[in-house]
Amino acid sequence: MSFEMWAEKYRPRSLAQMVDQKQIVERLMSFTKSRNVPHCIFAGPPGTGKTTAALCLARDLYGDPYRENLMELNASDERGINVVRETVKTFARVRTLGEIPFKILILDEADNMTRDAQQALRRTMEKYTGTCRFILIANYSGKIIEPIQSRCAPFRFSYLPRQEQDTYLKRVANSENTTLLEEGLNAIYDVCGGDLRKAINSLQAAASLGKPVDSEIIYSVVGRANPADVHSMIKIAIEGSFVEARKKLREMIMKYGIAGSDIIRQIHTELFRIDIPENMKIKLADVVGEVDFRLVEGADEEVQLSALLAKLVEVGYQLKGG
Amino acid sequence: MHVAWTVKYKPRSLAEIVGNQEAIKTLERWLKSWEDGIPQQRAAFLHGPAGVGKTLTIEALVNDLGMELVEKNASDYRTEEKIQRFAGSASQYSGFFGRRRVILLDEMDGVHGTADRGAIPTITRIVKDSRCPIVLIANDFWNKKFVSFRDKKKYLIIEFKKPRTSELLSHLRRIVAREGIVADEEALKFIATRNQGDVRSAVNDLQALAQGKMKLTYDDVSWLAYRDRKDVIFTVLRQVLYGKTCNAAKQAVNMADVDLDMLFEWVYENTPYHFNVPGELADAMEALAKADLYRGRIRRTRNWKLMRYMIDFMTAGVAMARDKSKPSGWIPFRFPQKIRSLSASRAERAKKKGIGQKIKRRMHISVVTAQNDVLPYVRIIFESSPQMAAGLTKWFRFSEEEVDYIAGGKRRAKAILKLSN
Repeated sequence: MSFEMWAEKYRPRSLAQMVDQKQIVERLMSFTKSRNVPHCIFAGPPGTGKTTAALCLARDLYGDPYRENLMELNASDERGINVVRETVKTFARVRTLGEIPFKILILDEADNMTRDAQQALRRTMEKYTGTCRFILIANYSGKIIEPIQSRCAPFRFSYLPRQEQDTYLKRVANSENTTLLEEGLNAIYDVCGGDLRKAINSLQAAASLGKPVDSEIIYSVVGRANPADVHSMIKIAIEGSFVEARKKLREMIMKYGIAGSDIIRQIHTELFRIDIPENMKIKLADVVGEVDFRLVEGADEEVQLSALLAKLVEVGYQLKGG
Repeated sequence: MHVAWTVKYKPRSLAEIVGNQEAIKTLERWLKSWEDGIPQQRAAFLHGPAGVGKTLTIEALVNDLGMELVEKNASDYRTEEKIQRFAGSASQYSGFFGRRRVILLDEMDGVHGTADRGAIPTITRIVKDSRCPIVLIANDFWNKKFVSFRDKKKYLIIEFKKPRTSELLSHLRRIVAREGIVADEEALKFIATRNQGDVRSAVNDLQALAQGKMKLTYDDVSWLAYRDRKDVIFTVLRQVLYGKTCNAAKQAVNMADVDLDMLFEWVYENTPYHFNVPGELADAMEALAKADLYRGRIRRTRNWKLMRYMIDFMTAGVAMARDKSKPSGWIPFRFPQKIRSLSASRAERAKKKGIGQKIKRRMHISVVTAQNDVLPYVRIIFESSPQMAAGLTKWFRFSEEEVDYIAGGKRRAKAILKLSN
């Protein structure tokens, strides 16, 4: 076993090594062949190879000294307008000395940029097209403003099909001398559903236990790594303990930093799974929707979700005939 | 069910009283001297600030000496006639079964100079030929209405002082020990110092902060330093949670100079413990959610006029949710967890962020993604495989402190660091 993160170690180094996303990869390869790259948007769910594709593209394009011609920025860390005005501009306007006349700037999690910053970016992209090409990476392209979208070639990444993921994981397990059982593979797909980064992190954490990786290990590892135990929070509320349910909620928000919008989404899913009368479910969906809307409006996550929990306690009490 | 600790840990005997040992001795000597005949000073005047144990002392002494206490608040019996009826007759007989009787007139500050005209002269007259010890208690001995008690030949004047912080501290220590709570010395010292010798208020503080906990740390109490005195906020809270009318609840906000956001957190924290009918709790929490909505709107639009609606919902909205809810027993007020964790976890968040940055540098992801999607797995690896953890430590260039944090235990961290060197 080696001692780095496997997700990095086994990240493809060139477009040719990439698993799946065949059509996208083909088009990108045609860019490297013609030595020209337009501005791009890579959109799609996490763990589907967007960043990897961008890095591979740069490497294939520039060869080894690719680092000199590449800048990676992560918009959720540097989301303000000043980054665009300073860092981005400074990088974009200086001409590169290599054979290829432009540099590449990867703007990861671009959907987290403020609108102001996006507006500023639009001008920069136009002005410095000669010296710099932008690859914007986002989960949802819808969050990127129209003028930028229209300047970019769009690429939609989708979750890896089961087979591709299995092949990849088996290869990793083999190289790391880890026994990965068939049921382990099933479990990984069940919980990661084509998110390759999550899959490989789960595999590595499971392998660190030093035992053959079976489904039990995978479920326990993923459970420990994902503390958003919405299911048990709802159960506790319905059973009548508001204070305990709020404690769970606080743990998620404060200790693990899970976003309120993620919690509410899971509550919504869970709502239709729990054992309460059907007509009650749809009534509660209305309450959940209201809370969701309030969160969008900028209300406090904990306070709003607490009100929802109190409502669940009331429903639970009514069901018991109170 | 909860009992107030001031009652639960009320001294049962003299030895348990905090501080003022000299004053207590003097009083004890005087009471004992009655066994050898009526002394020249037939009354004792105990004075001193609130909460230092004046009443407690006389109660405990009488108990220890096997005497009988006839106790009345001077604020109840303050007309000449009533004092005469109560104290006058009592002073002429010794107690039943030969037990000596002690007459206690407490809260003498409550005797009004003009409205209760005649009360003080009546007391002086009764004292003059009392056949049993009379004890008077007041806070402010130097008030001019007590001028006739200043005669040292007739009155034994005993001043009660605030107990020293060290004395108060050992009292608090005894309580936490009996409650099975592990408390930081710093935390107790803070409570003791802060209450400046007021034992009652210190014990109340201690209960509010420590009850139901296994541990009491400095962080749990230090907030007291920078905010309104807790009794102010407690009174306000009580009025918000139990207000009978909208206006009563709303007025709580004006009662004291309490920061509105702070008050919101207090109400939000405590509401669940004070409603025991689920439907009513849901209504109360929804009222708070509405108040929060307005808070958000105020912040966004800078329209401060909306403040009044926020106040409506966080006070009257909560109070009006109550119909049948009537929680029983003494419910301690809890300090808002949000504010506590904001200050307590700042250091932790900084550490987590530093780790996130190191992961980011290696893995082409944002700090947030690093913290949420990768760190949890790294943690599992650190818990289960020291070899792999040691490798990752090098690869990520984690510092010793960061390894400590991720491994979640000194010993495990040490093993990992040893392997990584």
